Amino acid sequence: MRLSEDQVRALAARAVALTPADEAEAVVMANDSALTRFANNRIHQNVAEENTTVSVRAVLGTRTGVASTNRLDDHALKACCEAAVAAARVAPEDPAFPGLPAPAPIERAERVCASTQAFDAEARAKAAAAIIEQSRFRDLSAAGTVARVDYAVGIANSRGIDAAMAVTDVKATVLSTGTDGGSGWASWLGCDASRFAPEALGDEAATLAQRSEVPGSLEPGAYAVVLAPEAVSDVLDFLGYLGFGAQAVDEKSSFIAGHEGERLLSELITLSDNALAAETVGLTFDFEGCPKRRTPLVEAGVVRGPVTDSYWAAKLGVVNTGHALPAPNPYGPLPMNLELAAGETRVDDMIASVERGLYITRFHYVNVEDPVRAVLTGMTRDGTFLIEGGRLTQPVKNVRFTQSAVDALANVQAVGDRRVLVGPEEGGANLTPALLIGSWQVTGQTR
Amino acid sequence: MRDLVTTALDAAASAGSTYADARVVLTSEERISVRTGRVEGIESSDSLGIGIRVIADGAWGFASTSALTPDAIRAAARQAVAIARASAITAAAPVRLSAVGVFDDVWRGPCEIDPFTVPLEEKLALLVAADEGLRTQEAVTVSSASLGFIKVEKVFGSSEGSMIEQSYVESSAGLTAYALGDGEVLPRSYPNSHGGQAIQGGWEAILALDLVGHAPRVAEEAAALISAMPCPATTTTVIIDGSQLALQVHESVGHPTELDRVLGDEAAFAGTSFVQVSDLDSLRYGSTHVSVVADATVPGSLGSFGYDDEGVPAQRDYIVHEGLFTGFQSSRESAAAIGRTSNGCMRADGWNRIPLVRMTTLSVEPGTWSRDDLIADTDDGIYFETNNSWSIDDRRLNFQFACEIGWEIKGGKLGRMIKNPNYTGITPKFWGGCDAVCSAEHWQVWGLPNCGKGEPMQVAHVAHGAAPARFRDVQVGVGR
Repeated sequence: MRLSEDQVRALAARAVALTPADEAEAVVMANDSALTRFANNRIHQNVAEENTTVSVRAVLGTRTGVASTNRLDDHALKACCEAAVAAARVAPEDPAFPGLPAPAPIERAERVCASTQAFDAEARAKAAAAIIEQSRFRDLSAAGTVARVDYAVGIANSRGIDAAMAVTDVKATVLSTGTDGGSGWASWLGCDASRFAPEALGDEAATLAQRSEVPGSLEPGAYAVVLAPEAVSDVLDFLGYLGFGAQAVDEKSSFIAGHEGERLLSELITLSDNALAAETVGLTFDFEGCPKRRTPLVEAGVVRGPVTDSYWAAKLGVVNTGHALPAPNPYGPLPMNLELAAGETRVDDMIASVERGLYITRFHYVNVEDPVRAVLTGMTRDGTFLIEGGRLTQPVKNVRFTQSAVDALANVQAVGDRRVLVGPEEGGANLTPALLIGSWQVTGQTR
Repeated sequence: MRDLVTTALDAAASAGSTYADARVVLTSEERISVRTGRVEGIESSDSLGIGIRVIADGAWGFASTSALTPDAIRAAARQAVAIARASAITAAAPVRLSAVGVFDDVWRGPCEIDPFTVPLEEKLALLVAADEGLRTQEAVTVSSASLGFIKVEKVFGSSEGSMIEQSYVESSAGLTAYALGDGEVLPRSYPNSHGGQAIQGGWEAILALDLVGHAPRVAEEAAALISAMPCPATTTTVIIDGSQLALQVHESVGHPTELDRVLGDEAAFAGTSFVQVSDLDSLRYGSTHVSVVADATVPGSLGSFGYDDEGVPAQRDYIVHEGLFTGFQSSRESAAAIGRTSNGCMRADGWNRIPLVRMTTLSVEPGTWSRDDLIADTDDGIYFETNNSWSIDDRRLNFQFACEIGWEIKGGKLGRMIKNPNYTGITPKFWGGCDAVCSAEHWQVWGLPNCGKGEPMQVAHVAHGAAPARFRDVQVGVGR
């Protein structure tokens, strides 16, 4: 059983009070999580964790230091606070440091579900068994996870910030594979375990696995692609990380640096970061206790400013959008709840409009080759199909791509009408539809 | 710590486990980073807790807690047993473990100067000076320098009677200069990218790197990359430096030969392997120049220990010998599944994670060539140095790596500098094209502290010994 919202709030306030500095901030994260993992149609790993960490940022003038601990006795907590002060004492002055942020109203969202808190080992095992059965009776093999996260975050600082919120999430994934090279994938993420339907998830993956049996070869080249939401989410993750953080813009490694207000992407693309969306997961404040604001990043293809935290907002002279990560972090503020506006096109209609192209379920092991143009390389996985004459005609072996995400999103031809929440089980997620992209560079294929 | 482990084992037995192990782990860390003249962070942390792993009703359960009172530990042990019984709902056959001896032992890693006793001021002064050295070129608009130190103290105990104390210190440091070109950012790092070099040892290892002395040269190379030629799109001979070859070994030999992955345990996350159990002693993995050994006894390596996190002693085992696939990296459970005993590769990322099969120090054995002779023997090709990007498919066959810098090789000599070079290949074909590996004089162990695996995600600290090596018929300049 994790600490309650009131307990994390009180612990954060106590740590602030224990820190002998000009200013102090404490972030308390209390976590009660469990994950049931299965492979080869059986549960093979099944784990649970309870942990509470306190992270203290001490400020002396414009010098800062950070220390954290998960030892909560008086002696250890005091030592942690003093370690943060000792680090601040050594740090040089940072003229750009604006001081810790002041409190601002935080929008409340109810993201704790009793059904998820009660989603115990037996319930998770039964859900896993239900997923597995959908593969087993088709002579397929299922692997995946059923995870529950229940956490509370409390943030306090000496300027009066006093924020706390609890969140529950369930995330389930399933990979179904056959002996003829077919594989299918499905996932579900949400706050409420009672809305999770394991049989349907298992059926979706197994059906896709059957459909992708005996995949064929494909020549490298440029293809029109229909990206399913999971694949789009990967592209958005990298675009958010590389392009829409204030530090990347300031350092000119972002494609939007110097181009804010210009139309760089397709008019069909409207992207925001929105931790307040009803469908999403995670906190409605950032790791400085500042409210997360819905932040437009792209409006009808026109790129807007980056997300910020208190430091970067002051440095760039713009509003604090509430996107601080735990201090210190080498990346600056980042968007964690990307929301791509839905379009009007059904996925079937996207496929029907393609004379020759690919349908891609999801990507695998994507990495960055050029941060400025967001050139990514990676593989497809678990359901890649050739589209010919407006129909899925045959599965293909996983292909490698080397493609600029910026160029791809400048060439969007249709946006899906249905959005899916995709992401890790904690810390945020992307709400995204499918996309039809005019050209995608396939540069290789696996055996 | 021993008492806490004993409390956990007793409680697990009382709750009905047929096997249990427990690990109490205290991890202390310190990180300092400077970015473009600004101290980005000075941070210390510690984390203490216990993880209890049990078998009950023939299935696995694991529970962990940071609350270390006897009552909290007993509750976690009971929870682990309850989780195991839930796991048994789907169990096809009871878990079997290969045999291991019983050990009561203490092991400590090497450390001459405890970095946690070195004043913060001294560490910061080193980084600030190195960062200044990186900013000696106008084209370098962003610079970063970082230090990291980790101290781990842990006690492992099992219901079979082992009780093992281990402790070690890790130290890491690295520099990167980023040159801003026309619409491109070009990084150049020392001694390696992605945080630099990491070793098991103390402050003495940081001093030996001479960060300040190398910084101006790193900045010069970053600036020079702006006007360097792009990588040609062709198929050619490549020589890959030791640090990049270390990552190549990691992705295309290390991960494919983890026995839990081969058996399907990681299928839904990072995928499986093209290697099958039936390939043992028959698969031609590479040319006869390629021998790869997993060795958890290399002094000062991130992949070294006395015992793994199942209490199995550190070992040295060939994975590939003269091109032939000869062994897996294994655990007690996975080894038993193929009728073998564990070669001691199970490690957990802290008290709150179960051990998984992880690489130790997985190294390409050195050959006989000097680096100069190898270049002189190469008529036409590209020399690749320092990783920038990596990707491999879900069966570890199709890979693509990009490096920070390359050089043309023409007529046996290094020629023009190349920016953003990359190469791609298929694992067995690539290793089959290896026709030369440099000698022990050029061989070095590279720490790799960011190996991701498992759900919940775990990050392992592993290492790879490698020297520059030559490969024929490699596709380069992909997507360029």
